[in-house]
Amino acid sequence: MNIRAYKPLLPMIMVYGILITIGLTVEGMWQPVAYFMFYIALGQAFNIFLGLTGYVDFGYVAFLGLGAYGMGIAIQNFAHLGSISILIGIFLAIVMSVLLSLAVGAVALRLRGAYFAIATIGVNEGFRYLVEGVRLWGGTEGMILSGFMRKTFGRETTNLLSTFISDVLIILIGFCAAIVTISILNKKMGYALLALREDEDAAKVMGINVTKYKIMAFIASAGFAGLIGATAWTLKLTYIFPEDVFNIHYTVEAIVIVMLGGAGTLLGPMIGGLIYGLMKYYLSITFPGLQLLILAPILIAIVVAFPEGLVGYLRKKARDTRLSEYLR
Amino acid sequence: MVVAEHLVSNLFYGALLGSVYGVATMGLSLIFGVLRIVNVGHGAFIMLGAFTAFWMFSLYSVIPILSIPIALIFGLALGLLIFYTTIRRLIDAPELSTLLATFAIGIFIEEVAKFVWGSDYVGFSWNIGTLYLGAITVPYTKLLAFVCSAAIAGLLYIWFTKTKLGTAIRAVVEDREGAMVCGINVGRIYSLSFAIGIGLTVLSGVLVTLFVPVGINVYMGPDYTLRAFVIAVLGGLGSPWGAFIAGFLFGLFENGSYTLLGLIPGVEPFALTRFVAFVFLLIILLIKPTGLLGGE
Repeated sequence: MNIRAYKPLLPMIMVYGILITIGLTVEGMWQPVAYFMFYIALGQAFNIFLGLTGYVDFGYVAFLGLGAYGMGIAIQNFAHLGSISILIGIFLAIVMSVLLSLAVGAVALRLRGAYFAIATIGVNEGFRYLVEGVRLWGGTEGMILSGFMRKTFGRETTNLLSTFISDVLIILIGFCAAIVTISILNKKMGYALLALREDEDAAKVMGINVTKYKIMAFIASAGFAGLIGATAWTLKLTYIFPEDVFNIHYTVEAIVIVMLGGAGTLLGPMIGGLIYGLMKYYLSITFPGLQLLILAPILIAIVVAFPEGLVGYLRKKARDTRLSEYLR
Repeated sequence: MVVAEHLVSNLFYGALLGSVYGVATMGLSLIFGVLRIVNVGHGAFIMLGAFTAFWMFSLYSVIPILSIPIALIFGLALGLLIFYTTIRRLIDAPELSTLLATFAIGIFIEEVAKFVWGSDYVGFSWNIGTLYLGAITVPYTKLLAFVCSAAIAGLLYIWFTKTKLGTAIRAVVEDREGAMVCGINVGRIYSLSFAIGIGLTVLSGVLVTLFVPVGINVYMGPDYTLRAFVIAVLGGLGSPWGAFIAGFLFGLFENGSYTLLGLIPGVEPFALTRFVAFVFLLIILLIKPTGLLGGE
């Protein structure tokens, strides 16, 4: 293993360290830090697919939603096993989101560009209406688990689960997604995906099995999404409603984060997630109800002026300097 | 028997609504055909049209039919403004950029609208009597919406086929470089098509209010965006005529399947209808991405 290729993890670990220290030492800062960590993890997971392949999945939130339901089902059905039910939930969340990603990948990844984007919107909305239409998993009434969890785990543990453990899990998931990203970037797969992103037909002609790498990235990204849904929604919020967990809004937030930081880079989602989280958090305090009105023009400006994102821009500036080893 | 009667009247109603869906999707298809940009914020423009009709009616008691030209002019101006501030810079950008930009524009319009009109549901009632035709009862307003939709689609068809400008637009849809070589000012066609596309979409919002007079809300858009996607793909992305016919079919399908699914106990017919629509969308995309009515 070439240690030098993993250097960009260093600035990332530093940012994580600073954030976690602030969260643990400053009174009342743990929840805001957890809020930023959710966006960082979301961006990091989505980047594996959107950033590395250049395909826009507008139905990404469906994987988070399924993960959330996986955890909910496990807590409801395996409550007699105590805290093992959470492990089962994590397992179920991964299995369900990966299965959906296999199904969607087999169908939608044959399509390109706008057609892919529309098909994935269709998958997400279709899934939501299936859940509501045949009253699957409680239908529109959703799953409300707080009372249930308090009975199984006790009040103390439930509170600890939703205010601390789920946040720690999110931090871990985001970091694991980052490690997966950098190992893909350093391996043959990373170069294959780069070729695919630049010109899919040319990559195919060169003998790269583009379908294989596309699907691998898609599955990895979906698996992490399932984990985020299971921890950040089910464990933390203790309720699941189909119109919340299949809300296209989260997909868009993920896209914004990836674009803001720089698609296909390792540090991009972290920086994007942090900036987006900070802006959203403090805008909703200072200008309640106006945060979207302020964010939308910023997004348009980024798309028009900085299509390569912040990290992409910095990398261009820092080319051929020692700093460039730490930026990726 | 009751079911059959119910179905017939719902299908008739669906045909009327479908024509409005058709007009509401033509703009999306035109913009995709000419600029190769999917307008993800499509529904926000429909919402603007709906509020135009609402304001004209409640403030100046202008009947919705007369609001149509006002909405069209408003939409054209808005389209030009958006084109020259954003879209012009993104014509050759990767899909990701245009999808994001149009989405952000949609959100921006919604939020500005929320600032102006608030987030409550509003509505107005314009009653000019009802037509009784056996099992079918239809308010005249809805018939009028149908007549207007058909007329607009017809006028647009004539404009596209008979005028020089319309032919130029069709040439750009066929082959961008080829049109350029023939001396067509492609840049001007882009701005014009975008403006017409947005104009048509805002206009269709007025027609939509004749069907959901009390369902006007600043967040009504995304629902219509998703419908428009299904319809546009059904008709072949990039073909406004395909979109009009597909809209018509979608209206029939939506109302027909709503009535039939309602017969199954224990399900929510409204949600399940949408589910079936999206399954269709996926199947069409898989077997014939150019659309059921599209060529090639």
